[in-house]
Amino acid sequence: MSRRISAQRFPIQLLDLVLIELSNWRWSWRSIVVASVFVPLFGMVGLSIYARDLGQEALNLVFSGSLVMALMLGNLSHIQSHVVFMRFNGALEYFASLPIHKHALTLAIIIAFFLLSLPGLVTLLVVGSALLRVSLAPHPLLLVAIPLCVLPMSAVGALIGVCARSPQQGSSLSVLTAFLFAGIGPVLFPAERLPEILRLLGPVNPAARAASALRQTLIGPLNEQIAPDLIVLLGFTACVFLLVNSKLDWRAGHSL
Amino acid sequence: MIAWQIKNVVKRYPGQTVPANNKISFEVREGEIFGLLGDNGAGKTTLIKQMVNLQASDLGEIRLYGKPVSQNSAHAPSLVGYMPQESHALNHLTVEEALYFSAHLRGLSRGDALAERDRLLKLWQLEDLRGHDSSRLSGGQRRLLRLAVATAGDRKILALDEPTNDLDPQKRRLVWDLLRRLKEERGATIVFITHDALEAEKIIERVGIMHRGELLVTGAPHELKRNLRHSVRLEIAFEPGQAQPLPDALAPRKLTETRWQLYLERHELGDVMDTLDIDRLVDLKLSSATLEDLYFHYVAAN
Repeated sequence: MSRRISAQRFPIQLLDLVLIELSNWRWSWRSIVVASVFVPLFGMVGLSIYARDLGQEALNLVFSGSLVMALMLGNLSHIQSHVVFMRFNGALEYFASLPIHKHALTLAIIIAFFLLSLPGLVTLLVVGSALLRVSLAPHPLLLVAIPLCVLPMSAVGALIGVCARSPQQGSSLSVLTAFLFAGIGPVLFPAERLPEILRLLGPVNPAARAASALRQTLIGPLNEQIAPDLIVLLGFTACVFLLVNSKLDWRAGHSL
Repeated sequence: MIAWQIKNVVKRYPGQTVPANNKISFEVREGEIFGLLGDNGAGKTTLIKQMVNLQASDLGEIRLYGKPVSQNSAHAPSLVGYMPQESHALNHLTVEEALYFSAHLRGLSRGDALAERDRLLKLWQLEDLRGHDSSRLSGGQRRLLRLAVATAGDRKILALDEPTNDLDPQKRRLVWDLLRRLKEERGATIVFITHDALEAEKIIERVGIMHRGELLVTGAPHELKRNLRHSVRLEIAFEPGQAQPLPDALAPRKLTETRWQLYLERHELGDVMDTLDIDRLVDLKLSSATLEDLYFHYVAAN
């Protein structure tokens, strides 16, 4: 019988797959720059014109909301289109033919796109805080908050990518989902300006939780909301990630 | 030793009246080169995907070294190198990265994977392209890379979906030579799909002929050819305007205005040659029946 070479351990699989996924920047860096820097920056500037009259609190909200848009919703769209692309162009088949865990692949995609969004995040932080005159007071928990702001929507992007019946359907669904998450709760707009129903739904919206967590860890002050914010973000991510892996059409039979 | 055992496999896609596979059964022995021939839509790609567990079967069972491939989804990937017909999976990697990562993810250590990368670059004549983006390669170069990737990680069982499509004659010869070497030097078991029956005959040890989801026959080409009534193929070409009438009883097939093809029984050959006016001929090819003839014979019979 043919000699069986043991599969790589999970962390090695993950590292290789992250590196493979990171090489995406070679063809997608332009769209990543546009989506993660310019779009939120223009949005931030546009919203700040109206928010200026409402005071610094509103500007802080616009600032954190724009960061959330860039981090969460940009990644949602990128990951959705990447996963759909992989399903429809045979890339997924190549990975499924290797002795790797599908969790390693989905996690690698999310990590790679998170890393690719970091330069945009830093640019937004620097330029946005200067433009909106937001004084930053970063808390160490920011290092936890930033990944947790990215992961939930990345997982949602992967879920849409896994479930969409066509690239067109995936693209429409991701735009719709992005608007939905941006509109529910105080993400970009102050809570008091939102209709009551959106205000009530805010606590279950990971985007609103992410905006809250970012405001607290970036601008301050940190309050009792930070723990529930991070727990909701973590729980939402775990649930969606499990759903992605159960829905991903990988190999026949009992899938690993 | 039996490498693959395929038993009564059935696959029907939703909305399709003809099943992609219908009660397919055959075996692939360890160390043999097995070719799957068939027309477009015959179910070959579905079958090869089922063999590597990338496609579920509705009924039946596929075993690889005795273990059902669908029971442990990691079983086939840990043994088989699969080359899909089309894939853009590695398009954003360079040629050398694609080879390195494939070898490393298949379990080789970093050092061994780097050595494997260099060996494969040389073996598949891809050295000049090592730093090139895979997406910038020509169709033929991409296919060679996919072949090299399938063999990466010391894979001794290969499932290849149309390995020579898009390749020029020189590269096709390279592929057949390398596959033969893999079998001879490393004892590789190779299953592949091809439309290139004439060239594949150089290396195929056993063949399966598929048509409309059915496996019509399997066996060694030389054994199957014994079943052909007409075991000799004669191709003749006349000078323009000099074509000689051929007896209808021989059912000559007109290839061009001046070129004809005849299938004969061995004992008919002498008589036919006697009737031909050699002076009017510009070309004459005599060969035994080919895999292509076998294919046409079994498809016509079904």
